[in-house]
Amino acid sequence: MDFIVLFPLIVVGAGAIILMLMASMKSLSEGNTALAALGVLALAFAVQLMVSTTDNLTPYGGIFNGMLVANSFTKVAGLIIIACGFFSCLIAQSYFTQNRFYSAEFYSLIMFAACGMLLLTMAAELITLFIALEIMSLAIYVLVGYDRASVKRSEAVLKYLMLGAFAGAFFTMGTAFIYGAANSTRFVDIAAHLDTTSFLDSPAMAAGAFLVIVAFLFKVAAFPFHAWVVDVYDGAPLPVTGFMATAVKTAVFAVFANFLIIDGGLKGVWVEYLYYIAVLTMFAGNLIAIGQNNLKRMLAASGIVHTGYLLVALVAVGTDNFTGGVILYYLAAYAVSTLGVFAALSYLGGEDERRNSFEHFKGLAKVRPYSAAAITIFMLSMAGIPPTAGFMGKFYIIADAIRAGYMMLAVLAIASSVLSMWYYLRLVVMMYFQEPEEEFETAGMSLAPIGTAVLAVCVFAIGFYPVLL
Amino acid sequence: MYENILTVMIFLPILAGFGVLLLPMKKEAARAVGLVAAILVVILGLRIFFNFTGTGGFEFVQRVELFDSVGISYSLGVDGISFLVLMAGACLFPMAYLLLTTKSKGFYANMLIAQGAMIGAIAATDMILFYVFWEIMLLPIFFMIGLYGGPSRLHATLKITLYTIAGSLFMLAAIVYVGVVYHQQTGVWSFNIADLVALNLAGGPATAAFIFFMFAFAIKIPLFPFHTWLPDAYTEAPTAATFLLSAIMAKIGVYAVIRFVLPIFAEEFARFALLLAYSGVIGMMYCGIAAIAQQDFKRMLAFSSASHMGIIALGIFCMNLQALTGTLYQIVAHATSTGVLFLLLGIIEERMETRTIGDLGGIAYKAPIFATFFAVAMLASVGLPGTSGFIGEFLIILGAVKFNVAIGVLAGTTLIIGVCYMLWMFQRVFFEKLNERTEKFADLSPIETMTILPIIVLIIVMGVYPQPFLDKVAPAAEQQLAQVITEQHQVADSTNPLMEQLEQKN
Repeated sequence: MDFIVLFPLIVVGAGAIILMLMASMKSLSEGNTALAALGVLALAFAVQLMVSTTDNLTPYGGIFNGMLVANSFTKVAGLIIIACGFFSCLIAQSYFTQNRFYSAEFYSLIMFAACGMLLLTMAAELITLFIALEIMSLAIYVLVGYDRASVKRSEAVLKYLMLGAFAGAFFTMGTAFIYGAANSTRFVDIAAHLDTTSFLDSPAMAAGAFLVIVAFLFKVAAFPFHAWVVDVYDGAPLPVTGFMATAVKTAVFAVFANFLIIDGGLKGVWVEYLYYIAVLTMFAGNLIAIGQNNLKRMLAASGIVHTGYLLVALVAVGTDNFTGGVILYYLAAYAVSTLGVFAALSYLGGEDERRNSFEHFKGLAKVRPYSAAAITIFMLSMAGIPPTAGFMGKFYIIADAIRAGYMMLAVLAIASSVLSMWYYLRLVVMMYFQEPEEEFETAGMSLAPIGTAVLAVCVFAIGFYPVLL
Repeated sequence: MYENILTVMIFLPILAGFGVLLLPMKKEAARAVGLVAAILVVILGLRIFFNFTGTGGFEFVQRVELFDSVGISYSLGVDGISFLVLMAGACLFPMAYLLLTTKSKGFYANMLIAQGAMIGAIAATDMILFYVFWEIMLLPIFFMIGLYGGPSRLHATLKITLYTIAGSLFMLAAIVYVGVVYHQQTGVWSFNIADLVALNLAGGPATAAFIFFMFAFAIKIPLFPFHTWLPDAYTEAPTAATFLLSAIMAKIGVYAVIRFVLPIFAEEFARFALLLAYSGVIGMMYCGIAAIAQQDFKRMLAFSSASHMGIIALGIFCMNLQALTGTLYQIVAHATSTGVLFLLLGIIEERMETRTIGDLGGIAYKAPIFATFFAVAMLASVGLPGTSGFIGEFLIILGAVKFNVAIGVLAGTTLIIGVCYMLWMFQRVFFEKLNERTEKFADLSPIETMTILPIIVLIIVMGVYPQPFLDKVAPAAEQQLAQVITEQHQVADSTNPLMEQLEQKN
């Protein structure tokens, strides 16, 4: 049983290593690498789906000293991450037919990152958490700067690496403080410690928690640590942006939730601040997004807004009988629509991401009606229009917030989604109500159109899938 | 036999719409599909009409649990409140397909989807289901105006979309709040209106939720001062879409207030009634006066429609049986009369390629049937005795006088404005001199005549013999009001002097 729980992680990790080794062989074509990566991720997904984890399970608790924990929350988070990896590979396959800086290691790095993320969701101890975070981040750093010839990408990777290193350092510092206060880095022990002593009595504990949470907020791009997002997402190659926006967010939110709910006291103190952070994140993201003319930048900024909604869910989440269903549901809904847009962009974007602004997609509906319809579906889902998954996600978050007594927060979340209508609708208006100026030719064999279609169906399928509150 | 009739009425047009959208077909074929679907819906609607008993409760009920954990169900039903609105939504559509022809297949697809969603919003008894249909019905409108509208369509479509979405998102918060309170009070989740009427809401959040609901519906109706999207949208939209907006969609806003706000927020409703009633009356006057000044025929009718929505809304805020029955009656009366007016205007536009009132003239000499139909619809819209409009407006004004004399008097006198702009327009368009354009105006073809004739007959029948229609709605209206009337007295008698103060001031 223990082995089965870890098996997806092992599959992805082993797949990554094998692919890395095989990349040294010249004979491996690009399409085959993509297919191999897709196969590995599909296998991992299937295994993860089969794992039944109704209770908290500590795999190899004796040997590893309880540094991992698996439950239905981590299982679903893992599913989302693997699925994100899968679709990112689909996107990448099409992307590389028009952008020529491919080498086989790309897919292997995506799998390394996914491996780190899977570990991250299961981490029940701060050091493990840090290691997982770094496995993930290092792979992502490389992926962001994958196109070495481009100055824009180098700028993005430099920004991300520098700031990410700071966040990592903050995290280590925080871990040290917490260890000093609680004499343990395991979440359960920290919780036990917090039961007896108040959170604010111990300066080391307060400082440690502060630093750790700052690191989390940086990784999920919450206010005031959101400034890097737009540049980095814009600079990264398109499949990587899609992967970062969805999988990284899922992994970090999963562990963030795990960390925050370890103890009512910790949450009680932090909720007050997270409340304001959530509000500011939503509105800062909206203000940035409204001004963007570039689609990737708009999507990056809208990602900040969605982080805000997720923080709302985090604020509202109850500590007792925590299922995290709402958070994961929203993450899944968001991931589906974001990856869908990126999949569509990957084959519509043209060489070197030529078409990247709203104006470039003028009249798409007249030339490629199905792609335009799919993009519209994704936009409506992000905007939260029924009967899409995004609507149900938003519904659950609002219901949770109101139930927890945060009526004001719910109203502010609504106000923020009203604002976000502007830039989501803008793309729809461009695609449908303007005359086309070009042919939107695409090149090469493509898996991404299939991915787009599947994701468009998923938007509705997830919308009809209930979640337990 | 009738268990699924509402579901069929909702999804038949929606599926037909997607079929038209996805399958390759000519626009004539699309129009035929639309017509067939619309006629099938009319037949189903008539079945409901003749089998509806009107005892007060929900009939043709259908319920499937969707999300048990949060109590969302797929539940449909018709009662006296929704009955006449449903009839309007089901029976008026064939006209739009028969009379107006120049659109592409996407247009017909959107129209079909819109009809399904509208019937869904009318028949839904679960608030979340209602919200879903409420939002879906906006999307076809968005595309209809944006793709097939007039020269400044982009502006108009963004305005209506952002306005309505803003309203409805706030409504979503209010709906969720209501559901959460129900869960807190009873321990089970439900968004079904039959359960929610038992709620006991009080305090700040309840007032906020009430305001959110009213905000959403005030935009849709539209109530003064949220009406600014209306002239643009109505004018820029293709005429079939304007017909849809004015005849059905605006009515759904009114209906939703009666269905959801009145029973759940009885106390808040009683508190804010006077304010809302004034907003209705001011909207009536303002839009009426604005209508007088319009040069564009369509814009004039748009303002006229907005003005009449003011009085229809006023009927709810008076909170007595006469006014509420009047509103329910007037919903259909106005849907038929304004629907016919917009469609006839669409014919003028198609044949004359202008809709500036000054360019027209003397149509009555060239097209007597057309002019007669127009006159009947117009007189019904201004409330001439013997037409359906009279019964509704009379009842509303009666109720308004009972509620507050000042409002009753204002509402009554404002009707005169309606007569002014309508008759003046009629004179300029249908009489006076013929010009080169109107020389060529052809009268209605037999098919067109036969399409409109049933509605004209209905207008007169409803004006002369309203009893069968009133009998079907009155019991439900009475039930719906029972709660709010007790609350109204409580509010008026309690130490909270808001209502009294307001009454003294006036």
